[in-house]
Amino acid sequence: MGNDKIGINKLYALSSEKRKFSFSLPLKHKIRIGKRNYEVKLKADEKYGTYILWKNRKYPVEIIRSRQNKYEILFNDISYSFTVETPFSLQRMKVLSSVKGKIEKELVTAPMPGKIIDVLVREGSSVLRGEPVVILEAMKMQNEIQSPVNGIVTKVPAKANNNVMKGDVLAEIKVE
Amino acid sequence: MKIKKILIANRGEIAVRIMKTARLMKVETVAIKTSFEPGAMYLSYADHIYDNTEEGTDIPVFLDIEKLILIAGRTGADAVHPGYGFLAENAYFAQKCIDNNIIFIGPSPDALYKMGNKTIARRIALRGCIPMALGSEGNISDEEEAIAVAEKIGYPVIIKAASGGGGRGMRIIRKAEEMERLFSIASKEAEKAFNDPSVFIEKYIENPKHIEFQILGDTHGNIIHLGERECSIQRKHQKLLEEAPSCALDDKLRHEMGRMAVKIAKAVNYYSAGTVEFLLDSDKKFYFMEMNTRIQVEHPVTELITGIDLIEQQIRIANGEKLKFRQEDIRLEGWAIECRINAEDVQSGFAPDPGKIESLSMPSDPFVRIDTGIQPGSAIVASFDSMIAKLIVKGKDRKEAIKNCKKALDKVWIKGTKTTLPFFRMLVRNLKFQDGTFTTAFIEKDLEKYYYNSEYEEMLAAWLATKLFIEENLKEDSINVDFENGKEMSPWLLNKRMNQF
Repeated sequence: MGNDKIGINKLYALSSEKRKFSFSLPLKHKIRIGKRNYEVKLKADEKYGTYILWKNRKYPVEIIRSRQNKYEILFNDISYSFTVETPFSLQRMKVLSSVKGKIEKELVTAPMPGKIIDVLVREGSSVLRGEPVVILEAMKMQNEIQSPVNGIVTKVPAKANNNVMKGDVLAEIKVE
Repeated sequence: MKIKKILIANRGEIAVRIMKTARLMKVETVAIKTSFEPGAMYLSYADHIYDNTEEGTDIPVFLDIEKLILIAGRTGADAVHPGYGFLAENAYFAQKCIDNNIIFIGPSPDALYKMGNKTIARRIALRGCIPMALGSEGNISDEEEAIAVAEKIGYPVIIKAASGGGGRGMRIIRKAEEMERLFSIASKEAEKAFNDPSVFIEKYIENPKHIEFQILGDTHGNIIHLGERECSIQRKHQKLLEEAPSCALDDKLRHEMGRMAVKIAKAVNYYSAGTVEFLLDSDKKFYFMEMNTRIQVEHPVTELITGIDLIEQQIRIANGEKLKFRQEDIRLEGWAIECRINAEDVQSGFAPDPGKIESLSMPSDPFVRIDTGIQPGSAIVASFDSMIAKLIVKGKDRKEAIKNCKKALDKVWIKGTKTTLPFFRMLVRNLKFQDGTFTTAFIEKDLEKYYYNSEYEEMLAAWLATKLFIEENLKEDSINVDFENGKEMSPWLLNKRMNQF
């Protein structure tokens, strides 16, 4: 990526819902809303931990995950996923997706540590978005872990009665 | 005062709550330190701590009857307060306390037993002519009998666990074909959760409001009610927000429902604090559901509008004192709302999100009351419930209470786990919530989005992601330091810190 930086004057943060936020470089600590610029500050102190200060209000922030250009950020108790793209990588992405179509895999992971009570799918099952894949017991509650997408189950590492850690892969689904 | 020292057979916010009142009454308290949370906040409110951390058991001591009796003996406690959950509604525990000359701060074992068994409670209500949904006479033994009863009372029906509560062992059946499958699921779930597979059937009331009455009774036969609470904001039978009073009741209906609540309490010679739960349908007809024989999580909203400390009343009643007020002395003043701030991820279907609370700060406005057992550094552990705090606000009317609630929600600061805060921020802005026409189906049917974020929050998060990317890949954005208010934070450093976990 390093060599690409010559000529980069913009970066794009794409949300998981495909919303695009563009920022010109060098990155300003100001965000323009209508005709006014508002200052953004990233800060930390002992009482509050890390926060963003914007329009005189503190918002708690945390980085939940970052891998390559993918970022999951917790902002004011809500998590957001972004991929950050340069104009080049964005262009490449567009080309790739038009060639390959959208063949993607989606992982269903355990949102919390717990015990698997029941596995409701097997390899080859087709699932709809929101359909329960696994029943996970944690904190005395049985939780339905649902498929985030429509697709075909390609792998099921989850086994009934096994204990799992947060983030363990329960099933792999090929997006349809 | 006969009661000199109370063993708190509980933890978390309710342990803190009980000990605060005990201190005002100059009654000593004993708290139990467990290996699950040896640094818990509730311990700092106790006069004495019993150290149980050496016991490496899987079952929390708060469920161990023999051990609790032993601890009461060893610490010289002459009374036990069970709080809610754990053994609070266990008739055997209450009896064991009495047998060992320990005062159980709660109702009689007989009342606990009768109201704890839902089929017995139904029979008592029936005998007392308390309005109730049509249902089976007693327990149902198999799906054939279930189908026969359902045909008689008409679908949809609901199967409930006789020893149940909290949504487990419950299934709604809309047609006969579903009965076979769901009957056995409900029965198995009941057996697993309550050690009792017995289930019964009731007519399912569609889209009701959940209205419950707070009861206080003494050991001299006086029973009164302290008005209602509305708890219709619930998800899978778990309450999330409660308020008092309810905008669905006028004085006439309040009087009638209150009278029925007192009547059913009288039928079991009830004493201590208790709650009679009703469903209220769209025609304002009400049906007895069950009686909860304990102090409830949502008791503070009643305290705020009546000015009565319910824990104090429980202790005084257990001490043998007479109630100091009659029904006509009870005045409901203003409006109170409670939000249960739990460590749950509203973006993943309210899944529990255990973790360590890194920082926590609560509003201190005069209209706010916070009940919590959590402080910075506390862990929300998988062995216990996911509650972080109860945010309770008051206003002169419902409109002001909602306004105050909205204000307070923006001032609550919790870092370390995801919480139900974004859900409440959404709720207070919802028109159906504001106009009061919501029912128990509200969350599943009427809410499109379970959380609120202001217009610009996602953009700010995108800005942060972009800043991180720059620092990791382009390294050309210099780090500005601003010492004016808090230290400027490099996201790179933040990221590095995160990876150390």
